[in-house]
Amino acid sequence: MMRRWLLPLLLGAVLAILAYKATLIATPRVLMTAALKRVERLGGVNVLRHPPMASAGARTIVRPSPDLAYSSCVFDLDGGPVMIEVAPVPAPYWSLSVFDARTDVAFVRNNRDSGGAPIRVALALAGQDVPAGMEAVRVEGARGIALIRVLVESRDRFAAIDRARRASRCGRL
Amino acid sequence: MKPWLRYAICGLAGLALGVGGAVWQVRAGAWGSSVRIGPWTTGTDYGTAGASAYTRAVVALRGLLALPAREARYYNAALDDDGRALDGRCRYRVTGGELGGAWWSPTLYDRDGYLVANRPGTYSVGSAAIAPAQRGAWEVAVAPVPQPGRWLPTGGIERFDLTLRVYLPADGGRGNLPRARLPRIQRLDCA
Repeated sequence: MMRRWLLPLLLGAVLAILAYKATLIATPRVLMTAALKRVERLGGVNVLRHPPMASAGARTIVRPSPDLAYSSCVFDLDGGPVMIEVAPVPAPYWSLSVFDARTDVAFVRNNRDSGGAPIRVALALAGQDVPAGMEAVRVEGARGIALIRVLVESRDRFAAIDRARRASRCGRL
Repeated sequence: MKPWLRYAICGLAGLALGVGGAVWQVRAGAWGSSVRIGPWTTGTDYGTAGASAYTRAVVALRGLLALPAREARYYNAALDDDGRALDGRCRYRVTGGELGGAWWSPTLYDRDGYLVANRPGTYSVGSAAIAPAQRGAWEVAVAPVPQPGRWLPTGGIERFDLTLRVYLPADGGRGNLPRARLPRIQRLDCA
């Protein structure tokens, strides 16, 4: 009796291990895709959006920092490279980070790294041409998100920061 | 029972077990469970290609778009110093000192990772809100009702957790803050 179940049980154990590993590997991409869709619905693709600071009602991205003003751009490189330009803002910390669809960070630079100067990069897939003189950030996969974080030390400074951050850009080259 | 039916039953059960086990483990896992320091858990490989599949999945669920360690360190606590789950109906004293970054901030979240509604709209206490002379020894009251001094409201929810962000860590994110430098979380009393 037991011998008849031995091979089926072995098959079940192998499939359990494979399914476990496959689920872990797929989880970041699934969650990232869902997050990109949520952000995209609010502002489109290859467009920088500047939402208000996070509050209790915020559900776009999990675990938002209430100390930061976020600007985000869901990018799609299928039609060619996308340029991100970050304008300096009157805050002690601001940064640009670029995440691919697997949630890996492809690029991070902050105002200390740039000496307070604007940050200008071209997001591109391997093999896509980027204009001479432009810094290329090669991304795995066509879709992802670029995020500008600005430290808002007190909420009464947000209005000035919000005005300044709107000079930043995200769009096709 | 026919042989193919035995294979089908075991195969489907295996698939369900594998998927269910992974989902359960990721949902139950503390964010950054790779290192536990007192009540705090953290990791140094968020957002990097070197992160394990498990870390990657937990971070995607609990802290999507987290920065790599050289830019920011994240310490998460779902327990107090005595190992009890953080309860929004209780009163806590959180004390700490200088944390060695450009700026830092403990933030209160519900168990799904969202900010908790409260009347004053206070979700965190950042280092910028603490006078430089006091950053060596600061205190925050975490409680459902107003407290003297710095108050981080819990909204009275059953379970919450705290995420301590340290931006531009002094050591470039190479090491973890030791237990003695991470904030203490002491439960005072419960409603």
